[in-house]
Amino acid sequence: MIWVETIVNGILYGGLYGLLGVGLALIVGVMRVVNLSHGEFIVLSAFMGVSLVGVFPWLHPLALILPVAAIAFGLGMALQAVLINRVVTRPDPFAAILLTFGVAVVMRNLMVEVYGADLRHLQAGRLAQASTGIGGLQVGVLPLLILGLSVALFTALQLLLTRTRFGRIVRATADNRDVVRLMGVNPGRVYNLVMGLSLALASVAGMLLAIRASFSPYSGVERLLVAFEVVVLGGLGTFWGAMLGGITLGVAELVGLRLDPNAGPLYAHLLFLVGVLLRPNGLFRVRT
Amino acid sequence: MTLLEVQALDAFYGDFQALFGVTLRVEAGETVALIGANGAGKTTFLKSLVGLLDQRRGEIRFAGDSIAGEPAERIARLGLSLVPEGRLLFASLNVEENLLMGALNRRLGAWNLARVYELFPVLRERRRQSPNALSGGQQHMVAIGRALMSNPKLLLCDEISLGLAPLVVDQIYESLGRIRAEGASIVLVEQDVKRAAGAADRVYCLLKGRVTLHGPARGLGLEQLSRAYFGT
Amino acid sequence: MTAVRACLPWSIAALGGAALVAAPWLMGEGALRFLSEAMLMLAMAEMWNLLAGYAGLVSMGQQVFVGLGAYGLFFASISLNVAPFWVLPLAPLLCAGVAAIVALFMFRLREAYFAIGTWVFSEIVSLLVSKTDRLGGERGVGLPTARLIDPRWLEPMTFWISAAIALAAVIGTYALLRSRVGLGLMTVRDNDMAAASIGVDVWRNRFIAFVIAAAGCGLAGAVSFTATLYVAPGFAFDPNWVVAMMIIVIIGGIGTLEGPIVGVIIYFTLREALTVVFGLSAGWYLIGLGSVAIVAILFEPDGLWPLIRGPLGGDWLSVRREPPAAARIAAAAPAGEMRSSPSGLGATPSDR
Repeated sequence: MIWVETIVNGILYGGLYGLLGVGLALIVGVMRVVNLSHGEFIVLSAFMGVSLVGVFPWLHPLALILPVAAIAFGLGMALQAVLINRVVTRPDPFAAILLTFGVAVVMRNLMVEVYGADLRHLQAGRLAQASTGIGGLQVGVLPLLILGLSVALFTALQLLLTRTRFGRIVRATADNRDVVRLMGVNPGRVYNLVMGLSLALASVAGMLLAIRASFSPYSGVERLLVAFEVVVLGGLGTFWGAMLGGITLGVAELVGLRLDPNAGPLYAHLLFLVGVLLRPNGLFRVRT
Repeated sequence: MTLLEVQALDAFYGDFQALFGVTLRVEAGETVALIGANGAGKTTFLKSLVGLLDQRRGEIRFAGDSIAGEPAERIARLGLSLVPEGRLLFASLNVEENLLMGALNRRLGAWNLARVYELFPVLRERRRQSPNALSGGQQHMVAIGRALMSNPKLLLCDEISLGLAPLVVDQIYESLGRIRAEGASIVLVEQDVKRAAGAADRVYCLLKGRVTLHGPARGLGLEQLSRAYFGT
Repeated sequence: MTAVRACLPWSIAALGGAALVAAPWLMGEGALRFLSEAMLMLAMAEMWNLLAGYAGLVSMGQQVFVGLGAYGLFFASISLNVAPFWVLPLAPLLCAGVAAIVALFMFRLREAYFAIGTWVFSEIVSLLVSKTDRLGGERGVGLPTARLIDPRWLEPMTFWISAAIALAAVIGTYALLRSRVGLGLMTVRDNDMAAASIGVDVWRNRFIAFVIAAAGCGLAGAVSFTATLYVAPGFAFDPNWVVAMMIIVIIGGIGTLEGPIVGVIIYFTLREALTVVFGLSAGWYLIGLGSVAIVAILFEPDGLWPLIRGPLGGDWLSVRREPPAAARIAAAAPAGEMRSSPSGLGATPSDR
């Protein structure tokens, strides 16, 4: 019974992992850039949540997700416009990685200076403890909410990309950024919006994760690795694959923790390594 | 009115100069052919016109406005449309979405989705398919249709007969006739001299980045053309 | 006159060598330790540069070898009950072996995925070591066998060995790049498909570079932790090792041998300036250096060395290949950089 519960909880948190990764998957798919500061923005969002909770203590952290996401969107657009757009057209595939890695180092240490190195937590109050019985199992209400939110966001993203004019423009720009200019599209502006979207999604995941687990300025590394593993396991640039990848990692981590409480993310990492060796194109080839 | 006027255009790829003092004009309503062998600079020329080549010098005037320094995104809105060499359709979009991308900068005019489907009926059947599922000729149709959707004043066609069976090329060139009838001017870049000269009012010939010949399409002799084309 | 000019590099080398040998008597312990650290960092930076600047492999997990070298040395020394420096060669050997195995599966990943894959591998090793009590777990282990070294000689020996490692790293990389393997590496870096088509064994050349870089980092890591007499997973496998390597190489000049030297000078100068002179906490020097690295990538991706090499009298350690003099005159084209950028075909339609 405990195992079933563990697996179910793994699935529920896996949705969160998927959300951590989908933002990264988006920009990898559109710009072929791996944003190594993705993890730091996830953590920054959590810190923003903490700051906002300080300013508005009567608001539940979940209500702060929207404003934090809006700020993250703006930050993403700024990051892209000021920094990443300058290197995205370069033939050197490493320029963007090194650049975003530099950004990550600066952000991480700035957060330490501003917020201190201690572990923090976003209190969700009674919601965090609440659980309900489903099919004879005790399932946390918060994880259920999180899964629901993740699925909703995934679906919204999918619809945005496949059914709207903006989505069409994004997909076309991802295919060929020069030809799209012939149609009057400025690829740099498209990238700005996509990066904004990517970090907004990351910020939602960051806030939710901060409710579940404690974090410090150094947590960005772990978040990045999870996001990256989700992207690669899911098959690059496919979103439902990322969701499934997240779920796989979530289950692996929780099962691993049950077997071996000191393991941390070890089993998730091992699963990733094995997965990527056996199927370098991703475990889930899901058509977008 | 002179729709397009190019004066002494030089173009560079880094240190390498690809075009030397190219001078060319297109009058409203005309079809002009630009012929030349592989590597003569035809595609470079078109890229310079639409703003995809940054390193250029010289004057380019379109409908009276100077566009020599403008980026591609802005030139696209002025009524200049390119059917690129190799088609370069968007693989993640289906046929209809590809066509709709062309309509982002719609100007007023005769062409819309329905009219494009009328021009190329086979595309209507395949409109939800991925471009990769189409034959070469059909892909060319999508590329032309996409360029038409913005109702361009000037349509630039880069090697639209390349790699296609003669019958298919006939179809494509027939559609050009109808495009002309709706008022667009056309620049036809081709390696196939006969086709291009047959469809055009005037012909320019490029060799190693220089204009070696220009004149009305009718009066050109084979020897003259040969010399201009090959440089012998 | 020319005889004197010819002797100049040798006399400089001899003077430098003498200075290095004499240093422990000329400098205080603090200065000595600082220099040792800088030398070891130089060695590591040259290794990272070998990978990223010459082999086209950006490794973000290089810290795993720093840590493995340290742990290897510690446990070899402890279990064999000998003074640490005797078993020093085991550290690079261990790392070379691990690297050889890691390469077998990591090389399947390309570019960014290789970079992060190595990082994941490093995290896995770090976690495994943390969970293994026999290796000291999370708390780590000390180095009791350090007692076997005369404490008066510990710092000087560390210094000399660090200097030797730095020299070996620079000269060894120089020799490697001037060899056939080096030529192969540089063709792979510039265009791996073209290299493969002329028969260069891409995989093998990269493999050699990867193993050597691992060994180099392992050796430097072993000495570094011997000096502190303590190793723990948090420090041994700290990503900040590779952060430092990257910053040094990017600022100094990637793809050149002199670049890391310049980078190390800048790195340590800035660090000392910010922490000692301005009294800022450690995080600020990383913020400062990280920002400089960002600026470098945006505006001077080739680093500082190409900018200052002119006034400094040309290359010290050039591994550029040039055609024989007659061919050069005939070509009469400006000498190009080995680090070629892909043909500038302007806005080519497909940018995959």
